[in-house]
Amino acid sequence: MKKYILLTGLVVGLALHGSILYAHEHDHTAESKKIVTPKSDSIFNINDVWTSSEGKQVQLSQLGGKPTVIAMVYTSCQYVCPMIVSDMQRIEKSLSKTENSKVNYAVFSFDPDRDTPDKLKDFAGAHRIISDNWVLATSNPSAVRKLAVSLGIKYKKDKSGDFDHDAVITVLDSDGVIKYQQSSVGKNMDEATAVLKKLMR
Amino acid sequence: MIKVSPRYCCTVLLAVVSSLILRSTASGGEISFIPAGNYAPFYTKEGSSSSEDKLIRVKAFLLDIHQVTNEEFRQFASSNEEWRRGNVSKLFADTHYLQHWGEEGKEFGPEEGNKPVVNVSWFAAQSYCESVGKRLPTTDEWEYVLNDMDRNKEAVHRAVMDWYAVPNRELPSLINRPKNGFGISDMVAVVWEWTNDFNNFMVRSDARDSGSKAAFCGGGSLNVTELDNYAAFMRYSYRSSLQGNFTGKNLGFRCAKDKE
Repeated sequence: MKKYILLTGLVVGLALHGSILYAHEHDHTAESKKIVTPKSDSIFNINDVWTSSEGKQVQLSQLGGKPTVIAMVYTSCQYVCPMIVSDMQRIEKSLSKTENSKVNYAVFSFDPDRDTPDKLKDFAGAHRIISDNWVLATSNPSAVRKLAVSLGIKYKKDKSGDFDHDAVITVLDSDGVIKYQQSSVGKNMDEATAVLKKLMR
Repeated sequence: MIKVSPRYCCTVLLAVVSSLILRSTASGGEISFIPAGNYAPFYTKEGSSSSEDKLIRVKAFLLDIHQVTNEEFRQFASSNEEWRRGNVSKLFADTHYLQHWGEEGKEFGPEEGNKPVVNVSWFAAQSYCESVGKRLPTTDEWEYVLNDMDRNKEAVHRAVMDWYAVPNRELPSLINRPKNGFGISDMVAVVWEWTNDFNNFMVRSDARDSGSKAAFCGGGSLNVTELDNYAAFMRYSYRSSLQGNFTGKNLGFRCAKDKE
Protein backbone atom coordinates (compact mmCIF):
# COMPACT_ATOMS: atom_id res chain seq x y z
CA MET A 1 0.00 0.00 0.00
CA LYS A 2 2.70 2.40 1.08
CA LYS A 3 4.67 1.55 -2.00
CA TYR A 4 1.69 2.30 -4.18
CA ILE A 5 1.20 5.75 -2.67
CA LEU A 6 4.86 6.48 -3.11
CA LEU A 7 4.72 5.42 -6.72
CA THR A 8 1.67 7.52 -7.44
CA GLY A 9 3.41 10.45 -5.82
CA LEU A 10 6.42 9.89 -8.00
CA VAL A 11 4.38 9.71 -11.19
CA VAL A 12 2.40 12.83 -10.35
CA GLY A 13 5.62 14.55 -9.35
CA LEU A 14 7.28 13.66 -12.62
CA ALA A 15 4.27 14.74 -14.63
CA LEU A 16 4.24 18.10 -12.85
CA HIS A 17 7.94 18.47 -13.32
CA GLY A 18 7.58 17.77 -17.01
CA SER A 19 4.91 20.39 -17.44
CA ILE A 20 6.96 22.99 -15.61
CA LEU A 21 9.89 22.26 -17.84
CA TYR A 22 7.68 22.48 -20.87
CA ALA A 23 6.24 25.82 -19.79
CA HIS A 24 9.71 27.06 -19.07
CA GLU A 25 10.95 26.06 -22.50
CA HIS A 26 8.02 27.84 -24.00
CA ASP A 27 9.12 31.09 -22.36
CA HIS A 28 12.52 30.76 -23.93
CA THR A 29 11.20 30.90 -27.46
CA ALA A 30 9.21 34.06 -26.82
CA GLU A 31 12.10 36.31 -25.85
CA SER A 32 15.85 36.31 -25.61
CA LYS A 33 17.18 33.71 -23.14
CA LYS A 34 19.13 36.26 -21.14
CA ILE A 35 16.17 37.84 -19.38
CA VAL A 36 14.74 34.58 -18.05
CA THR A 37 14.66 34.80 -14.26
CA PRO A 38 16.49 31.83 -12.75
CA LYS A 39 14.53 29.32 -10.71
CA SER A 40 14.51 30.21 -7.04
CA ASP A 41 16.94 27.48 -5.99
CA SER A 42 19.15 27.72 -9.07
CA ILE A 43 22.84 28.57 -8.76
CA PHE A 44 22.22 30.82 -11.79
CA ASN A 45 20.99 33.37 -9.24
CA ILE A 46 24.67 34.09 -8.65
CA ASN A 47 25.77 36.61 -11.26
CA ASP A 48 29.53 36.85 -10.67
CA VAL A 49 31.66 37.02 -13.78
CA TRP A 50 34.31 34.35 -14.34
CA THR A 51 37.07 34.23 -16.96
CA SER A 52 37.42 31.02 -18.95
CA SER A 53 40.63 29.33 -20.07
CA GLU A 54 39.88 30.85 -23.47
CA GLY A 55 39.88 34.33 -21.92
CA LYS A 56 36.11 34.74 -22.29
CA GLN A 57 33.85 36.33 -19.65
CA VAL A 58 31.36 33.77 -18.44
CA GLN A 59 28.51 33.67 -15.96
CA LEU A 60 27.04 30.59 -14.33
CA SER A 61 23.74 31.12 -16.14
CA GLN A 62 25.48 30.41 -19.43
CA LEU A 63 25.49 26.77 -18.35
CA GLY A 64 21.71 26.83 -18.70
CA GLY A 65 19.82 24.75 -21.24
CA LYS A 66 21.85 21.59 -20.63
CA PRO A 67 22.60 19.62 -17.49
CA THR A 68 26.10 20.30 -16.13
CA VAL A 69 28.69 18.27 -14.31
CA ILE A 70 30.44 20.78 -12.08
CA ALA A 71 33.46 20.63 -9.77
CA MET A 72 35.91 22.96 -8.02
CA VAL A 73 39.65 22.39 -8.16
CA TYR A 74 42.94 24.34 -8.28
CA THR A 75 45.59 23.53 -10.80
CA SER A 76 48.63 23.40 -8.49
CA CYS A 77 46.86 20.63 -6.61
CA GLN A 78 48.97 17.49 -6.89
CA TYR A 79 46.69 14.63 -6.10
CA VAL A 80 43.01 15.22 -5.39
CA CYS A 81 42.14 17.67 -8.18
CA PRO A 82 43.47 15.60 -11.10
CA MET A 83 41.41 12.74 -9.67
CA ILE A 84 38.28 14.90 -9.63
CA VAL A 85 38.84 15.81 -13.26
CA SER A 86 39.46 12.20 -14.23
CA ASP A 87 36.23 11.22 -12.46
CA MET A 88 34.43 13.77 -14.62
CA GLN A 89 36.14 12.33 -17.68
CA ARG A 90 34.97 8.87 -16.74
CA ILE A 91 31.41 10.19 -16.88
CA GLU A 92 32.19 11.72 -20.26
CA LYS A 93 33.66 8.46 -21.59
CA SER A 94 30.63 6.46 -20.51
CA LEU A 95 28.34 8.65 -22.63
CA SER A 96 27.94 8.57 -26.38
CA LYS A 97 28.96 11.49 -28.58
CA THR A 98 25.33 12.52 -29.02
CA GLU A 99 24.73 12.33 -25.29
CA ASN A 100 27.84 14.40 -24.59
CA SER A 101 26.60 17.12 -26.92
CA LYS A 102 23.75 17.59 -24.43
CA VAL A 103 25.99 18.05 -21.37
CA ASN A 104 28.29 20.77 -20.02
CA TYR A 105 31.38 19.97 -17.98
CA ALA A 106 32.45 22.89 -15.80
CA VAL A 107 35.55 23.23 -13.62
CA PHE A 108 35.91 26.28 -11.39
CA SER A 109 39.12 27.26 -9.63
CA PHE A 110 39.53 27.82 -5.88
CA ASP A 111 42.71 29.76 -6.59
CA PRO A 112 42.24 33.22 -8.16
CA ASP A 113 45.82 34.21 -7.30
CA ARG A 114 47.59 31.49 -9.22
CA ASP A 115 45.04 30.14 -11.69
CA THR A 116 45.20 32.55 -14.61
CA PRO A 117 43.25 31.67 -17.77
CA ASP A 118 46.56 30.48 -19.29
CA LYS A 119 47.20 28.21 -16.31
CA LEU A 120 43.74 26.73 -16.78
CA LYS A 121 44.47 26.21 -20.45
CA ASP A 122 47.69 24.35 -19.61
CA PHE A 123 45.77 22.27 -17.09
CA ALA A 124 43.14 21.40 -19.70
CA GLY A 125 45.90 20.41 -22.11
CA ALA A 126 47.67 18.27 -19.53
CA HIS A 127 44.43 16.45 -18.84
CA ARG A 128 43.52 16.10 -22.54
CA ILE A 129 40.39 18.16 -22.21
CA ILE A 130 39.70 19.02 -25.83
CA SER A 131 35.96 18.94 -26.26
CA ASP A 132 34.23 22.33 -26.35
CA ASN A 133 31.49 21.29 -23.94
CA TRP A 134 34.08 21.77 -21.18
CA VAL A 135 34.61 25.11 -19.49
CA LEU A 136 37.39 25.91 -17.01
CA ALA A 137 37.13 29.25 -15.28
CA THR A 138 38.70 31.50 -12.66
CA SER A 139 37.39 34.58 -10.87
CA ASN A 140 37.93 36.44 -7.57
CA PRO A 141 37.84 35.26 -3.93
CA SER A 142 34.27 36.48 -3.40
CA ALA A 143 32.92 34.65 -6.46
CA VAL A 144 34.78 31.49 -5.43
CA ARG A 145 33.33 31.69 -1.93
CA LYS A 146 29.77 32.19 -3.21
CA LEU A 147 29.97 29.26 -5.60
CA ALA A 148 31.53 26.97 -2.99
CA VAL A 149 28.90 27.97 -0.42
CA SER A 150 26.14 27.28 -2.96
CA LEU A 151 27.57 23.86 -3.73
CA GLY A 152 28.14 23.14 -0.02
CA ILE A 153 31.88 22.76 -0.57
CA LYS A 154 34.14 23.51 2.38
CA TYR A 155 37.63 24.83 1.70
CA LYS A 156 40.46 26.71 3.32
CA LYS A 157 43.61 28.27 1.95
CA ASP A 158 46.64 27.21 3.97
CA LYS A 159 49.80 29.20 4.70
CA SER A 160 51.59 27.85 1.63
CA GLY A 161 48.78 29.05 -0.65
CA ASP A 162 47.41 25.56 -1.24
CA PHE A 163 43.82 24.62 -0.45
CA ASP A 164 42.22 22.04 1.76
CA HIS A 165 38.89 21.30 0.19
CA ASP A 166 36.06 18.87 -0.21
CA ALA A 167 36.28 16.76 -3.35
CA VAL A 168 32.75 16.88 -4.71
CA ILE A 169 31.16 16.33 -8.09
CA THR A 170 27.78 17.99 -8.59
CA VAL A 171 25.19 17.44 -11.30
CA LEU A 172 23.01 20.45 -12.13
CA ASP A 173 19.89 20.26 -14.22
CA SER A 174 19.46 22.57 -17.20
CA ASP A 175 18.02 25.23 -14.87
CA GLY A 176 21.06 25.22 -12.59
CA VAL A 177 19.40 23.36 -9.74
CA ILE A 178 21.53 20.83 -7.86
CA LYS A 179 20.21 17.35 -8.61
CA TYR A 180 22.99 15.10 -7.42
CA GLN A 181 26.24 15.33 -5.46
CA GLN A 182 28.83 12.80 -4.56
CA SER A 183 32.28 12.85 -3.08
CA SER A 184 34.82 12.31 -5.77
CA VAL A 185 38.32 10.82 -5.99
CA GLY A 186 38.31 7.52 -7.78
CA LYS A 187 34.72 6.65 -6.94
CA ASN A 188 32.25 4.82 -9.11
CA MET A 189 30.48 7.41 -11.28
CA ASP A 190 27.57 5.23 -12.42
CA GLU A 191 24.99 6.97 -10.29
CA ALA A 192 26.04 10.44 -11.39
CA THR A 193 25.94 9.24 -14.99
CA ALA A 194 22.46 7.79 -14.56
CA VAL A 195 21.18 11.06 -13.07
CA LEU A 196 22.74 12.96 -15.92
CA LYS A 197 21.11 10.75 -18.56
CA LYS A 198 17.70 11.37 -17.02
CA LEU A 199 18.25 15.13 -17.16
CA MET A 200 19.16 15.17 -20.84
CA ARG A 201 16.64 16.40 -23.30
CA MET B 1 37.39 49.93 34.62
CA ILE B 2 39.00 50.33 31.19
CA LYS B 3 42.76 50.59 31.18
CA VAL B 4 43.88 53.46 29.01
CA SER B 5 46.90 52.39 27.03
CA PRO B 6 48.47 54.22 24.10
CA ARG B 7 47.12 51.51 21.84
CA TYR B 8 43.65 52.01 23.20
CA CYS B 9 43.78 55.77 22.60
CA CYS B 10 45.05 55.15 19.13
CA THR B 11 42.25 52.72 18.52
CA VAL B 12 39.63 55.13 19.76
CA LEU B 13 41.04 57.98 17.72
CA LEU B 14 41.09 55.92 14.58
CA ALA B 15 37.65 54.60 15.27
CA VAL B 16 36.32 58.13 15.64
CA VAL B 17 38.06 59.30 12.49
CA SER B 18 36.94 56.34 10.42
CA SER B 19 33.39 56.53 11.68
CA LEU B 20 33.29 60.22 10.81
CA ILE B 21 34.49 59.52 7.30
CA LEU B 22 32.11 56.63 6.89
CA ARG B 23 29.10 58.47 8.25
CA SER B 24 28.91 60.63 5.16
CA THR B 25 27.98 57.64 3.02
CA ALA B 26 25.58 54.78 3.66
CA SER B 27 27.96 53.01 5.96
CA GLY B 28 26.01 50.66 8.17
CA GLY B 29 27.12 50.70 11.79
CA GLU B 30 30.02 52.39 13.56
CA ILE B 31 33.33 50.76 12.91
CA SER B 32 36.46 50.36 15.03
CA PHE B 33 40.11 49.89 14.11
CA ILE B 34 41.55 46.52 15.06
CA PRO B 35 45.37 46.48 15.20
CA ALA B 36 47.31 43.54 13.77
CA GLY B 37 48.22 40.72 16.12
CA ASN B 38 48.25 37.01 16.81
CA TYR B 39 45.92 34.66 18.53
CA ALA B 40 46.06 30.99 19.37
CA PRO B 41 43.00 29.18 18.07
CA PHE B 42 41.46 26.55 20.29
CA TYR B 43 42.59 23.75 18.06
CA THR B 44 46.28 22.99 17.81
CA LYS B 45 48.21 21.47 15.03
CA GLU B 46 49.23 17.98 15.91
CA GLY B 47 52.94 17.44 15.78
CA SER B 48 53.85 21.12 15.70
CA SER B 49 55.86 21.47 18.86
CA SER B 50 56.78 25.14 18.70
CA SER B 51 54.18 27.52 20.05
CA GLU B 52 54.79 29.81 17.04
CA ASP B 53 53.02 27.32 14.79
CA LYS B 54 49.93 27.52 16.91
CA LEU B 55 49.48 31.23 16.40
CA ILE B 56 47.33 32.75 13.69
CA ARG B 57 48.48 36.12 12.41
CA VAL B 58 45.73 38.64 11.71
CA LYS B 59 46.37 41.83 9.76
CA ALA B 60 44.98 45.18 10.93
CA PHE B 61 41.40 45.75 9.79
CA LEU B 62 38.16 47.52 10.72
CA LEU B 63 35.19 45.87 12.41
CA ASP B 64 31.66 47.03 13.22
CA ILE B 65 31.33 47.83 16.92
CA HIS B 66 27.96 46.12 17.08
CA GLN B 67 25.95 43.67 15.02
CA VAL B 68 23.79 44.93 12.17
CA THR B 69 20.39 45.92 13.58
CA ASN B 70 16.84 45.31 12.40
CA GLU B 71 16.54 48.95 11.38
CA GLU B 72 19.80 48.92 9.42
CA PHE B 73 18.76 45.75 7.65
CA ARG B 74 15.29 47.11 6.95
CA GLN B 75 16.81 50.04 5.09
CA PHE B 76 18.91 47.63 3.06
CA ALA B 77 15.96 45.39 2.21
CA SER B 78 13.75 48.32 1.28
CA SER B 79 16.25 49.62 -1.26
CA ASN B 80 17.24 46.16 -2.57
CA GLU B 81 14.03 44.44 -3.46
CA GLU B 82 15.63 41.06 -4.14
CA TRP B 83 16.35 40.93 -0.40
CA ARG B 84 12.78 41.55 0.74
CA ARG B 85 11.08 38.75 2.57
CA GLY B 86 8.79 37.59 -0.21
CA ASN B 87 11.32 38.02 -2.99
CA VAL B 88 14.49 36.34 -1.84
CA SER B 89 15.53 33.28 -3.84
CA LYS B 90 15.71 29.90 -2.13
CA LEU B 91 19.34 29.60 -3.12
CA PHE B 92 20.12 32.66 -1.00
CA ALA B 93 17.84 32.17 2.03
CA ASP B 94 15.60 29.48 3.47
CA THR B 95 11.92 29.96 4.27
CA HIS B 96 12.61 31.39 7.75
CA TYR B 97 14.34 34.44 6.32
CA LEU B 98 13.34 37.49 8.42
CA GLN B 99 10.46 35.48 9.85
CA HIS B 100 10.43 37.62 13.03
CA TRP B 101 9.38 40.62 10.94
CA GLY B 102 5.82 41.61 10.20
CA GLU B 103 4.58 42.62 6.79
CA GLU B 104 6.17 45.43 4.82
CA GLY B 105 5.72 48.85 6.40
CA LYS B 106 5.31 47.40 9.90
CA GLU B 107 8.24 45.06 10.12
CA PHE B 108 8.86 45.56 13.85
CA GLY B 109 7.97 47.78 16.77
CA PRO B 110 10.13 50.80 17.72
CA GLU B 111 11.80 48.89 20.55
CA GLU B 112 13.02 46.23 18.08
CA GLY B 113 14.85 48.55 15.70
CA ASN B 114 18.10 48.61 17.65
CA LYS B 115 18.19 44.89 18.29
CA PRO B 116 20.47 42.73 16.19
CA VAL B 117 18.87 41.44 13.01
CA VAL B 118 18.54 37.64 12.98
CA ASN B 119 17.03 35.10 10.59
CA VAL B 120 19.44 36.25 7.91
CA SER B 121 21.43 33.94 5.67
CA TRP B 122 25.12 34.16 4.80
CA PHE B 123 24.21 35.41 1.33
CA ALA B 124 22.03 38.15 2.83
CA ALA B 125 24.71 39.14 5.34
CA GLN B 126 27.35 39.15 2.65
CA SER B 127 25.22 41.27 0.34
CA TYR B 128 24.34 43.72 3.14
CA CYS B 129 28.02 44.27 3.95
CA GLU B 130 28.86 44.78 0.27
CA SER B 131 26.06 47.34 -0.02
CA VAL B 132 27.73 49.52 2.63
CA GLY B 133 31.22 49.10 1.19
CA LYS B 134 32.25 46.46 3.70
CA ARG B 135 32.58 42.67 3.85
CA LEU B 136 32.00 39.91 6.39
CA PRO B 137 34.93 39.33 8.77
CA THR B 138 36.96 36.17 8.25
CA THR B 139 36.70 33.51 10.94
CA ASP B 140 40.28 34.30 12.00
CA GLU B 141 39.52 38.01 12.30
CA TRP B 142 36.38 37.30 14.26
CA GLU B 143 38.04 34.87 16.65
CA TYR B 144 40.96 37.26 17.12
CA VAL B 145 38.63 40.04 18.23
CA LEU B 146 36.76 37.70 20.53
CA ASN B 147 40.09 36.56 21.99
CA ASP B 148 40.82 40.25 22.68
CA MET B 149 44.53 39.71 23.38
CA ASP B 150 43.45 37.55 26.33
CA ARG B 151 42.09 40.60 28.17
CA ASN B 152 39.25 39.83 30.55
CA LYS B 153 39.32 36.19 29.63
CA GLU B 154 37.39 34.87 32.58
CA ALA B 155 34.56 37.37 32.23
CA VAL B 156 34.13 36.46 28.56
CA HIS B 157 34.15 32.80 29.41
CA ARG B 158 31.54 33.28 32.12
CA ALA B 159 29.30 35.32 29.79
CA VAL B 160 29.40 32.54 27.21
CA MET B 161 28.56 29.86 29.73
CA ASP B 162 25.64 31.91 31.07
CA TRP B 163 24.41 32.43 27.54
CA TYR B 164 24.60 28.74 26.69
CA ALA B 165 22.76 27.93 29.93
CA VAL B 166 19.69 30.01 29.06
CA PRO B 167 18.75 29.46 25.45
CA ASN B 168 16.50 31.80 23.45
CA ARG B 169 16.84 34.81 25.69
CA GLU B 170 15.24 38.04 24.52
CA LEU B 171 17.73 39.98 22.38
CA PRO B 172 19.03 43.26 23.86
CA SER B 173 18.99 46.67 22.21
CA LEU B 174 22.53 47.36 21.00
CA ILE B 175 22.74 50.88 22.39
CA ASN B 176 25.43 51.58 25.02
CA ARG B 177 26.72 48.05 25.22
CA PRO B 178 29.95 47.27 27.08
CA LYS B 179 33.04 47.05 24.87
CA ASN B 180 36.03 44.76 24.89
CA GLY B 181 39.67 45.91 24.71
CA PHE B 182 39.36 46.46 20.96
CA GLY B 183 36.33 48.70 21.48
CA ILE B 184 33.95 46.04 20.13
CA SER B 185 30.67 45.01 21.77
CA ASP B 186 29.01 41.62 22.24
CA MET B 187 31.29 39.26 20.38
CA VAL B 188 29.55 36.55 22.34
CA ALA B 189 26.45 36.04 24.41
CA VAL B 190 23.96 37.95 22.23
CA VAL B 191 23.75 36.09 18.90
CA TRP B 192 25.90 33.74 16.85
CA GLU B 193 27.52 35.55 13.94
CA TRP B 194 28.23 34.72 10.31
CA THR B 195 31.81 34.86 9.12
CA ASN B 196 32.84 35.09 5.49
CA ASP B 197 34.55 31.70 5.50
CA PHE B 198 32.18 29.84 7.81
CA ASN B 199 32.59 26.97 5.34
CA ASN B 200 36.24 26.59 6.24
CA PHE B 201 37.72 23.17 5.83
CA MET B 202 38.55 22.21 9.40
CA VAL B 203 41.44 19.81 9.35
CA ARG B 204 45.12 20.34 9.90
CA SER B 205 46.95 21.32 6.77
CA ASP B 206 48.68 18.02 6.01
CA ALA B 207 45.55 15.94 6.47
CA ARG B 208 45.09 15.32 2.77
CA ASP B 209 48.18 13.09 2.92
CA SER B 210 47.50 11.31 6.16
CA GLY B 211 43.74 11.22 6.37
CA SER B 212 43.73 12.38 9.99
CA LYS B 213 40.69 13.41 11.98
CA ALA B 214 39.09 16.82 11.99
CA ALA B 215 39.96 18.93 15.02
CA PHE B 216 36.65 18.61 16.79
CA CYS B 217 36.09 14.93 16.23
CA GLY B 218 36.84 12.21 18.74
CA GLY B 219 40.54 11.89 19.46
CA GLY B 220 41.24 15.30 18.01
CA SER B 221 39.53 16.90 20.96
CA LEU B 222 42.47 15.96 23.16
CA ASN B 223 44.52 18.59 21.36
CA VAL B 224 42.51 21.53 22.58
CA THR B 225 44.75 24.26 23.90
CA GLU B 226 42.78 24.80 27.06
CA LEU B 227 40.06 22.76 28.58
CA ASP B 228 37.87 25.78 29.22
CA ASN B 229 37.70 26.32 25.51
CA TYR B 230 34.68 24.09 25.36
CA ALA B 231 32.89 27.24 24.22
CA ALA B 232 35.10 27.39 21.17
CA PHE B 233 34.22 23.84 20.24
CA MET B 234 30.60 24.86 20.25
CA ARG B 235 31.30 27.83 18.00
CA TYR B 236 33.38 25.91 15.46
CA SER B 237 30.94 23.03 15.36
CA TYR B 238 28.03 25.39 14.98
CA ARG B 239 29.71 27.20 12.10
CA SER B 240 30.59 23.99 10.34
CA SER B 241 26.97 22.87 10.56
CA LEU B 242 25.74 25.91 8.63
CA GLN B 243 24.93 26.27 4.96
CA GLY B 244 24.83 29.51 3.02
CA ASN B 245 21.05 29.84 2.89
CA PHE B 246 20.43 28.83 6.52
CA THR B 247 18.81 31.35 8.84
CA GLY B 248 18.37 31.16 12.61
CA LYS B 249 16.66 33.16 15.30
CA ASN B 250 19.98 33.44 17.16
CA LEU B 251 22.15 34.02 14.12
CA GLY B 252 23.13 37.54 13.05
CA PHE B 253 26.25 39.26 11.74
CA ARG B 254 28.44 42.33 11.73
CA CYS B 255 30.61 43.67 8.91
CA ALA B 256 34.32 44.31 8.58
CA LYS B 257 36.48 46.32 6.23
CA ASP B 258 40.05 46.25 4.98
CA LYS B 259 42.29 48.92 6.40
CA GLU B 260 43.02 51.37 3.58
